[in-house]
Amino acid sequence: MITAFDLDEYGFAVPKTIEELRKYLQAAIEVEHLTIPVYMTGMYTIHPGTNSEAYYVIRSVLLEEMLHMTLAANLLNAVGGTPRVAHPEFIGEYPVRLPMSSQDLPEIGLRHFSPEALRTFLAIEEPRSFHSEAPMGSGWTSIGQFYGAIAQGLFGLVERHGETHVFTGDESRQVGPEHFYNSGGEAFKITDWETALKAIEVISEQGEGALDSIWDSDDVFFGQESQPAHYFRFNEIMMGHRYTLADRPTDPPSGPSMAVDWKGAYPIKGDSKVADYERYKDKSAVYDKAVEFNQTYALLLCALQKALDGEPSTMGLAVPFMLEMRDRAEQLYRNPHPDPECAKQGLFASATFEITRPHLDQAKTQVEEYVAAAELDDEAPMDLSGLTVATKGRFA
Amino acid sequence: MTVERTGEQVHQGRYDAVIVGAGWSGSLLAKNLSERGWTVLLLEAGEGGTQTWDGYLESVATFRSAVAKVPNSAYHRNVLAPSPDVLDLSPRPSTGNGTPPYTAHGYFVQNGAHPYRTDYVRALGGAGMHWLGAVPRMHPEDFATKTRFGYGRDWPITAADLQPFYAAAERELGVAGNTKEQRELGVITDHDYVYPMHEVPTSHIDEHCRKIDGATITDGMGVERELRVTGLPQARNSTPNPGYDSKKGYRPKGAVGLPNYGERCVGNASCVPICPVQAKSSPLRLQHASNDKVTLATRSVVTRVLSARGKRVDGVEYRTYTGSGTKAKAGAHHRVKADIVILAGHAIENARLLLHSGLANSSTQVGKNLMDHPTTLAWALADSQVGPYRGPGHTSGWEEFRFGKGREKRSPFRIEISNWGWSWSTGAPMSNVAQALGVGGGKNGRVKDEGLFGPELRWALGDTIGRQLQLQIAVEQPADPRNRVTIAPDRTDAMGNPRPIITYDLHDHVRKGVYAAYIASKGIFKELGAKEMTDHRPVDGVPPLGHFLYDGTDLTYQGAGHGAGTHIMGERPEDSVVDSYQKTHDHPNLYAVGCGSMPSIGTSNPTLTMAALALRSAERIHQDLLALRRKATVGAGLKAAKEKP
Repeated sequence: MITAFDLDEYGFAVPKTIEELRKYLQAAIEVEHLTIPVYMTGMYTIHPGTNSEAYYVIRSVLLEEMLHMTLAANLLNAVGGTPRVAHPEFIGEYPVRLPMSSQDLPEIGLRHFSPEALRTFLAIEEPRSFHSEAPMGSGWTSIGQFYGAIAQGLFGLVERHGETHVFTGDESRQVGPEHFYNSGGEAFKITDWETALKAIEVISEQGEGALDSIWDSDDVFFGQESQPAHYFRFNEIMMGHRYTLADRPTDPPSGPSMAVDWKGAYPIKGDSKVADYERYKDKSAVYDKAVEFNQTYALLLCALQKALDGEPSTMGLAVPFMLEMRDRAEQLYRNPHPDPECAKQGLFASATFEITRPHLDQAKTQVEEYVAAAELDDEAPMDLSGLTVATKGRFA
Repeated sequence: MTVERTGEQVHQGRYDAVIVGAGWSGSLLAKNLSERGWTVLLLEAGEGGTQTWDGYLESVATFRSAVAKVPNSAYHRNVLAPSPDVLDLSPRPSTGNGTPPYTAHGYFVQNGAHPYRTDYVRALGGAGMHWLGAVPRMHPEDFATKTRFGYGRDWPITAADLQPFYAAAERELGVAGNTKEQRELGVITDHDYVYPMHEVPTSHIDEHCRKIDGATITDGMGVERELRVTGLPQARNSTPNPGYDSKKGYRPKGAVGLPNYGERCVGNASCVPICPVQAKSSPLRLQHASNDKVTLATRSVVTRVLSARGKRVDGVEYRTYTGSGTKAKAGAHHRVKADIVILAGHAIENARLLLHSGLANSSTQVGKNLMDHPTTLAWALADSQVGPYRGPGHTSGWEEFRFGKGREKRSPFRIEISNWGWSWSTGAPMSNVAQALGVGGGKNGRVKDEGLFGPELRWALGDTIGRQLQLQIAVEQPADPRNRVTIAPDRTDAMGNPRPIITYDLHDHVRKGVYAAYIASKGIFKELGAKEMTDHRPVDGVPPLGHFLYDGTDLTYQGAGHGAGTHIMGERPEDSVVDSYQKTHDHPNLYAVGCGSMPSIGTSNPTLTMAALALRSAERIHQDLLALRRKATVGAGLKAAKEKP
């Protein structure tokens, strides 16, 4: 959380200069990313094959957070900034407070699929309209309010300097729909005030709902099926019911029931660290698996760094790392916590999402090798076939 | 969205059109006709469920737990709407008294010299639920093999007539492909056209095979071709092409039952039978996208088409059932009426229904000319790791032996490069594991002691499995009236409906094609420096299924799942069943659509051509319905005038 906590110290305000705006957009990328390990943990702790509706709900939000992160990076690139994601401090140490947020918001921790986890999810996504907004300088209470400030700042800059002097970024740095996406909405290029505003609206409305409704605007923006916004999607799990078209934001969901089995999850100790596992590494493979998970996460961040920093076609390379994390998570979470005391309480192992500088250095080299092997070409559709097999010699 | 009702609820209903079968053709026609304002009833014999996300996941789980991952392994057995299964057939030793070299259990009764090895599935979405998604167009010369090469039957229409419908079908199915390559092949002739999506990336195996681009190969009939690996157009989501549709672009269609999901292929490698993320296109998408003028009733088995006065038909009779799978219980008979009746079942089901209804058969061609793409497999060990078992079943092939001179001598063939190792030919990778472990025991029945374990086992598996090359060579089978579907009163299924009786063989032109392909595969493996492992010889004296000798060479064929040609189209009512719009010659308001209408299927997987034909028929059906309405309006006007005091 490089920039986000920096800004936090100054207090929350509308950015006045292009440099300030860039800082806010870097903070936006960090805030979007911050939610990802939290939702991933909720999803990965579900017993395979159970809670399938809830699983796909969390997954759909998770993917849209990835979209938001990408759009925030597109915004930053559009105004001539440079997104930074492959950095040890990019990742918060959980439990973490949302940067620049008001002291009223609870800390965000990694929790297994449970009502408590859902309460965390709901706190992150709570619509702006549910709050009385705190005065400027005292922290924000909703992500919508945060983006509202960014929009205001951007609008002010465009008014003062004109669009062409604000949107100075190189268009080739923008991630577009061709660079892979697989959920609600899609990545699009941001080159002017109109597309910038659209990005901010997509982020806000997928999270909180369009203008005093529970629904997002995927139908209007992307010709897709409209879905309840993140807050309401999570509330469906919490309440065990779906929303109907007639429901208003303050109503409980009145649609068909949704089967939720809170017991169908691996309970975890969310603040576990790799160091905790290391003490038992002779007896349990959890340590190795947790380290490998973090290494894969570092690979993902390094691939994203390239994709968001001038080589958007690298986005295709990031996708296999996401799938690898899913598979590694499935292997990891089913093991008892290596600490016998924790295991006795019925706790299971979990991913720690700790990324160190050596992780990133190693990952960076590896990603460079992969990119070279894939021969990514911005003009051609993505093709990873070059990566398939490098092994020429013996196996195992 | 399509309205779902039970068979009981729609009983006695009246519709502009009733469509029998909710597969690709039926769903395309339902969507298209409803968009033009007509009311449509879609009757499906099989069960639904996959249109909900939970139901779909259940099918994924059924597939994952299946021991034999055959095309129907994702869908449970349904006794009241039975489906043929590739596991129904077993080889049997020759007894020398003329008994066929196979036994057939299951839905089909088979009495041919050789087995018909193709299946389909009667479930919502039909065979579109287990297909691979391969959608190459047919070549102009495929439409006129009789005139040009002296075998098979000509179409009453040309490739040029179908071009706009091919393009429309590619939009509806959502096709990813390399337009330039297909244009060079000569199957796309519109110069401005591009596919909706960029091609699905070719596999590492494809790249491995590309090393021999430019090599000249001679097939078993002396036909020479220079090879070049060509990508396969697929109905599978990939990167949308921003240049599509005059630069309007294309938005991939995602999963049914879960919003905004499944919009790109991520290489799960289980396309046949089921894509866990629904990146593979299916008829469920069309049903989901249809308007509420379409009513769908599953578990409604159509038993016959009802005749009306004159040559017209009136509607259909169907029987419902409750329960599921092997526990289904038959219900009552019902009827619905419609101005147009459209049979859109599998080619064999359409024929069965026409025969049982005693309709459309003045030509005596109903059920005749049954086709498939007899497919011969060739396999080898590559000289290096090639990375099999990743991505769609196949992403490229060699197209050179499909067209041109040589067709007069032997059937042409398309060489598919498999991405799934030796799974089809030997049951790999499980068979490799069993072999390495020594499972199965020795000749004396004792556990073999040469089994491998630990690192040695992993090394051996990695080494062999990672080098598996397989070619799937689909050979054209021309229309031949000897290959046919019949019915008999004493051969019925659990509901009392006639079972298809199949008489099938590979005739000379096809056998030559299979042999030619086999020899070509040897040449290819040699060029690649791979060690050929192909083996079609009898095992312990029992010839494998589909075995025959050509000039002393052991060969076998598999079924491709491309059943076609049972109600063939033609200009003349004397020797064809339907006209070029798939309207039966005998009945002005009865259509039989699908692969059954095709006079030839070339070497192209037939779904895309079938879809193009369905869209072409939709235009004509629309005109028929308009004409009926005009007549009705004029009639009513005259009646009103007469009644005036």
